[in-house]
Amino acid sequence: MTNNAIKNFWANLKREKLLAVTNIIVITVSFLLLGVFLSIVFVSQSTLKYLENQAQVTAFFKDDFTEENILNVKEGLEQDERVLQIDYISKEAAFKLFTELNKDEPVLIESISADILPASLEIKTKDVDDLATLASELAAVDGVEDVKFFEDVVEKFKSVSTVAYIIGIALVVMFLIISYSVVLATLRTTITSKGTELEIQRLVGASDAYIKTPIILQALFYGVISGVLASVVLVSLGIVLSGSGLFGNGLLVPFLPNTAIPFSLFSAVISVLIIVSGIVLGYLGSATAVRKYLKY
Amino acid sequence: MSQIEFKEVTKKYEDVVALDKVTFQIDRGEFVFLIGPSGAGKSTLIKLLIREDVPTSGEVLFDNINVSLVEKKAIPELRRRIGVVFQDFKLLDSKTVFENVAIATEVVGCPDDVKCELVPNVLNMVGLLGKKDRFPYQLSGGEKQRVSIARALAHEPDVLIADEATGMIDPQSSSEIMEILERINLLGTTVLMATHNDAIVNKLKKRVVKMDKGAIKSDKRGATYDE
Ligand SMILES: Nc1ncnc2c1ncn2[C@@H]1O[C@H](COP(=O)(O)OP(=O)(O)OP(=O)(O)O)[C@@H](O)[C@H]1O
Ligand SMILES: [Mg+2]
Repeated sequence: MTNNAIKNFWANLKREKLLAVTNIIVITVSFLLLGVFLSIVFVSQSTLKYLENQAQVTAFFKDDFTEENILNVKEGLEQDERVLQIDYISKEAAFKLFTELNKDEPVLIESISADILPASLEIKTKDVDDLATLASELAAVDGVEDVKFFEDVVEKFKSVSTVAYIIGIALVVMFLIISYSVVLATLRTTITSKGTELEIQRLVGASDAYIKTPIILQALFYGVISGVLASVVLVSLGIVLSGSGLFGNGLLVPFLPNTAIPFSLFSAVISVLIIVSGIVLGYLGSATAVRKYLKY
Repeated sequence: MSQIEFKEVTKKYEDVVALDKVTFQIDRGEFVFLIGPSGAGKSTLIKLLIREDVPTSGEVLFDNINVSLVEKKAIPELRRRIGVVFQDFKLLDSKTVFENVAIATEVVGCPDDVKCELVPNVLNMVGLLGKKDRFPYQLSGGEKQRVSIARALAHEPDVLIADEATGMIDPQSSSEIMEILERINLLGTTVLMATHNDAIVNKLKKRVVKMDKGAIKSDKRGATYDE
């Protein structure tokens, strides 16, 4: 890259100051929305995954059903393809759990005797969709008193997050296209306003690179500046949000089992993603814009 | 070996035949006038030589290189070896005389100190050093042409081509310009000048290639305009 390229790039930018500012604002806003929608998609997918991990069927057993019988049922279920994990909660364990949860309310604990709570099996499935069928199957099993699972919550959230996912991705694509068009339009303006100059430069022996480089620099400049601005805003938003303790435990990564990342890392990834899209967008935009002028 | 060679070159623009099987050669160091009425194909011939356009058929050779087959990335190099004074000058109104000439040095990545030496040099050659900070609108037609010559000379080209506009320039300026071109030619640069100016052609008694309707009608050394 020559000094001339950098000089020409600055000259272009200075000549079109107002246009440059407007463009940076438009592209920044596009990137910002891009980042926000990316985050919404990611966070909702992550929450869904969290809920799915929590989702389980609990089968409570009748008091007269012996522990041995329950363990038989458990063994039977362990052969089941759909089942991920089964925990046996005995009457004693249930009571312990209950006292633990309510240790601030001794009166409540006093009022309950150790054997009033039923023994239960807590079953997680590999696929949440299997929960409902498993629940109805369990209800029919001998000795089962009651079956509980939070069907509605999971199902509702699932449909909401699917909608969020689809709309989010659509918006992300849309804002990418908008940003690309803005970059392209800007470069076209620069090129058209310099049309004669570029033509003369070519006629007196300018190489493609000589003409292209300042334009590519300009596009990269827009992409990087807007990407950085949008990232700064997004990361600040992220800091405020995690300061509020909303994502204290980090975010689970969709598509990767048992991986959680802290919110700060998530913002950083989004920022990098946006800056990289800025660079790619700038490069592609400038390549497209100059192509027309480099025909011989 | 000729420096420039046209072999059966035909150039068609849709239904217009701008060049019709044109064949001629120019040797290194020659001074050639290219004459003929408006629309004869003079500018077209120049465009093919610097690869601003490609022939419909035939071959254009420069130093035995087939110009129409040159790779895209070798075109700039070709254009630096052939300096052209365009019929419409192609000067930028927003740039000074100095800056207009400097374009030619900048495109080859000349550092500023080289540029500061080279540009005044060529401006001096065309007698415009004193007007280096003027803008094109502050110049006469002849002066504009001289700026264009200075720019064409900035690469120290092997060939200088001047495509002159009809009736653009007064006799005084044209004899000044001819002096510049002759001087350059004496330094070893091939000069090809397309012109309508019979007075000049008759006075200089150089080789004259006469064209009409895209074809070469005559090609004589030491000829006059009407011969
Ligand atoms: N880009 C083009 N598209 C279509 N026709 C063209 C084009 N360029 C030139 N022509 C035609 O080709 C013919 C030759 O044009 P050219 O410019 O070479 O003439 P010329 O000899 O330079 O004339 P002048 O002395 O007026 O400059 C003309 O009929 C012109 O209309
Ligand atoms: Mg012409």
